[in-house]
Amino acid sequence: MPAPSSTATTTSAIVAATDLTRRYGEGEAAVDALRGVTIAFPPSRFTAIMGASGSGKSTLMHILAGLDRPTSGSVVLDGTELAGLDDQGLTTLRRDKVGFIFQSFNLLPVLTAEENILLPLSIAGQKPDPEWIERLVDTVGLRDRLTHRPAELSGGQQQRVAVARALASRPAVVFADEPTGNLDSTTSGEVLALLRRSVDEFGQTIIMVTHDPDAAAVGDRTITLTDGRVSSDEDR
Amino acid sequence: MRKVALKGLLARKTRLGLTALAVALGVMLIAGTYVFTDTINRSFDRIFTAVYAKTDAVVSPNDSIGSQDNGTVPSLDGSVLARVKALPQVGEAQGVVNDQSGVVIGKDGKAIKSGGAPTIIGSVLPARFSAAEYPQGHAPANAGEVSIDKATAKRKGLHVGDTIGLQAAAPRKQYRISGLLTIAGVDSLGGATTVELTLPEAQRVTGKVGRYDEIYVAGRPGTTPAQLKAAIQQVEPSSVTVRTGKQQTKNQQDDIKGALSFLTTALLAFAGISLFVGAFIIFNTFSITVAQRAREFALLRTLGASRRQVLRSVLTEGLVLGVLGSLVGLGIGIVVASGLRALFKAVGVDLPSSGTVIESRTIIVSLLVGIVVTLIASLAPALRATRVPPVAALREGVALPQTRTSRLAFPLAVVLTAIGFALMAWGLFGGGSSSKALSLLGGGAALTFLGVALLSPRLVGPIASAVGRPLQALAGMTGRLARENTVRQPGRTAVTAAALMIGVALVTFASIFAAGAKKTINDAVDTGSNASVILQNINGFGPFSPGAAKAVAGVQGVQDVSPMRFSQGKLAGKDVQVTGIDPASFSTLYNVTHGSDKLKALPPDGVVVAKGYADDHDVKPGQRLQVKTPTTRTVSLRVTGIAEDRGQLLSQLTVDNQTLVRDFASTKDGFVLVGFAPGADAKAVKHAVDARLSQDFPQVEALTESEFKGNQADQINQLLGLIYALLALAIVVSLFGIVNTLVLSITERTRELGMLRAIGTSRRQVRRMIRYEAVITALIGGVLGLVLGVVLAILVTQPLDGFKLSIPVGSLVVVLILSAVAGVMAAVLPARRASRLDVLDALAYE
Repeated sequence: MPAPSSTATTTSAIVAATDLTRRYGEGEAAVDALRGVTIAFPPSRFTAIMGASGSGKSTLMHILAGLDRPTSGSVVLDGTELAGLDDQGLTTLRRDKVGFIFQSFNLLPVLTAEENILLPLSIAGQKPDPEWIERLVDTVGLRDRLTHRPAELSGGQQQRVAVARALASRPAVVFADEPTGNLDSTTSGEVLALLRRSVDEFGQTIIMVTHDPDAAAVGDRTITLTDGRVSSDEDR
Repeated sequence: MRKVALKGLLARKTRLGLTALAVALGVMLIAGTYVFTDTINRSFDRIFTAVYAKTDAVVSPNDSIGSQDNGTVPSLDGSVLARVKALPQVGEAQGVVNDQSGVVIGKDGKAIKSGGAPTIIGSVLPARFSAAEYPQGHAPANAGEVSIDKATAKRKGLHVGDTIGLQAAAPRKQYRISGLLTIAGVDSLGGATTVELTLPEAQRVTGKVGRYDEIYVAGRPGTTPAQLKAAIQQVEPSSVTVRTGKQQTKNQQDDIKGALSFLTTALLAFAGISLFVGAFIIFNTFSITVAQRAREFALLRTLGASRRQVLRSVLTEGLVLGVLGSLVGLGIGIVVASGLRALFKAVGVDLPSSGTVIESRTIIVSLLVGIVVTLIASLAPALRATRVPPVAALREGVALPQTRTSRLAFPLAVVLTAIGFALMAWGLFGGGSSSKALSLLGGGAALTFLGVALLSPRLVGPIASAVGRPLQALAGMTGRLARENTVRQPGRTAVTAAALMIGVALVTFASIFAAGAKKTINDAVDTGSNASVILQNINGFGPFSPGAAKAVAGVQGVQDVSPMRFSQGKLAGKDVQVTGIDPASFSTLYNVTHGSDKLKALPPDGVVVAKGYADDHDVKPGQRLQVKTPTTRTVSLRVTGIAEDRGQLLSQLTVDNQTLVRDFASTKDGFVLVGFAPGADAKAVKHAVDARLSQDFPQVEALTESEFKGNQADQINQLLGLIYALLALAIVVSLFGIVNTLVLSITERTRELGMLRAIGTSRRQVRRMIRYEAVITALIGGVLGLVLGVVLAILVTQPLDGFKLSIPVGSLVVVLILSAVAGVMAAVLPARRASRLDVLDALAYE
């Protein structure tokens, strides 16, 4: 059942984008990565963004997450208009309201698994909520690996640490960029199940970029981008 | 393949620039030193060539013992001139005064100081011999006139007709300036203050009535200079040296070169230190880049490049870098030569220079040394690059294979350090010449530095932990990450820190040495001296007229006046230092550690021998010593006792002043100890002494014990300042190393930085993290250097008799703080780079 997401009220959305365009370069060589994307993401939903490479799905995610700025259009994340923020503002916003999961895990090799999980809180200088962290550690199933360094963990374990890290500060939204891209199908399944659980159990909002239909199928909704435009938007 | 090397270099301009600078700074000092000293030599060459241009032969005192400059060599008796004049081969002969023991008093009533250069009082020469020209005024024509070199006149604002004072052996007298003097078109005799008087007046002022410092001789037509020389030698005793005009020119030039060669060697030693540190930087930079480019080398190997080609490619990079750095260093060095002059001038040594002299040797040595050092430093990394297996091209995250050398690093480090210490011990305790001892010390220190550098990867962890924990407490996660990052590649951090360690160790060593020297002097004065004031030359070391002691003795409230003189002699063919004292008063005003009674009872033909010398040479009381004096005669002195003076005021032999006057032809005092009458108002008496001295002997100052200590400390501090300034270069080079390592490490960690920024690390936090990493690295170098410097200082001062070791804790803390500050400075550029990384680009970085 297709949902009219483009007309959904943005007030109830955690992340809402309006008329986003993004142009790289100038003149003849200019490339339009996004050509007018309007989209809203309601809370506690798991959305997959799909598309061929060059479709603009990564650009869209970067702009939604405050890592890149649109050429025009607006993004409101948890009530904050990103266009009005400077670099420091965006940094604080990412720190306090956004969680990230990367394709290549991007854990700090010098820190233990536990320290990696707590990293966003440490950077913010916040005290972790012990109960929440306990629960998180149990959910990702890493209790006996907490003192290990990333080099001593398998890829799947590393990505589970990364998931826990993204959830540690209870962000408004978690962005996952091809989170299973570097994993085999078994561990992919584990990580995706973990993401699913965080939506179902913790009410987490997740926006995941992927080109893998099996991964997308775990989400509640799949948005497909083609040539910088939303070509389909389907709820599961 | 060459193209690959060059492209590789150009792609990394910052690193290229910093690494080239690491070589350039050392080369700069080499080139600067050569240009600087060559320029000085050239100016003196010109001067002396002109001075003796019209002279066929020069008769001067035999100065095989003692030195004319420090007043220990007697002047020529007037009878020498008479005998020379009587020779049929002689056309004309002229006795001259050329004295360096006086002082000129400017219009402001103050003595004119000319840095390290002497004040020369000369006599006017007849036109037959003179090289003097008078662009203004004329030569002094009577006993009330003086001419002064144009440079000094200009510096002090003196003009023809002005009045200046002169004081040497005779008390101060005022003269009218009759002319300004230049020699061979040069305004200044190498920075010296030069004045000319009429011959009789010059003889009177310098206390050489009827005597001469030199005799200039012109042969009759048809007599060659060599024949003339031979003829004079026939009639003159061996106490006289005869040289042809050319030989004399050469002799004087060589004297200057000899005096300067010490300076050249010292400066080149500092250049060597900078290059040594630079070599660490080059080695480290190449090691890191070779590791980072492992995949690139593997790819080249897969495409069919041989090991040799890979080696050549890396060495080509080294060569280009070496050439570039050396050229830049040479260029800056030529410019900096004048900076060196300014540096010496700042510490009170004004050296002359006219024009800039660039010998081909300067260019060749500078380039060669720079290039060879670079190539040697890049050899090991280049060899590592050849060991990358081709298959590594296909793998993720290749690490270079561990080499045999890296497994052997620890034992090698221990062995090197041990050999280093052994060499230093040999240099210190093994005897032999001082130059041999110095080279052994230097070589030993270099090996020790290498050894500790190799050892330091094991020390990085613990030290980083110790210095990093406070930072972590201060800055939480950024501090923690900074610390972890320094120990991530301990070898890399170790080499980076070791480069700084060298500079810090030498600074530490120098400050401990200086502190010890000051303490030694202070203790000597405190325990040794009972004098109310000490008279000394205002330049701190020169001899001065005995008239000063006589004048002070006449001041109301002065009770004891005890002059001390310093001369030298030869004993069994070896140089010995001789001190002259006034036995009756000396013991009242100065306490030796042991043997005070022997000094008090010192008879005119007796000698008291220092305990150290007596022990080493098995000298016993009652024995007779045959000492050859500066007069070239040999006197027989009876050993009347052994004395120990930890204050180091007395030299190896101590004799009665009368003996020095009679047998050593000593004419000047070195120090004068003065005791005020008990109950006298010390302040008032000192005031009267000062007034008396400034009236008649402005060359002499009266210092209380604390002033004397301060004066000595000032001299040590000046030297220390010079050493610090030269070591600063090595430290700057090591800072480039920190910058380089940081930049390279940041490149490696680009993606991590991207992630950190993405999850909310602010730019400021990134900057702080890099800064702390630099501070920790710098502190590792600082701590290692401090420890090593203290150990070296303790070791080196061990064999010094009576040296009081004193660790200047305050200064050392400052050194450590400055190391941290240096780290902060080194971090500025890398931190800015890291914080400005584009998050998305960084995340996508491979």
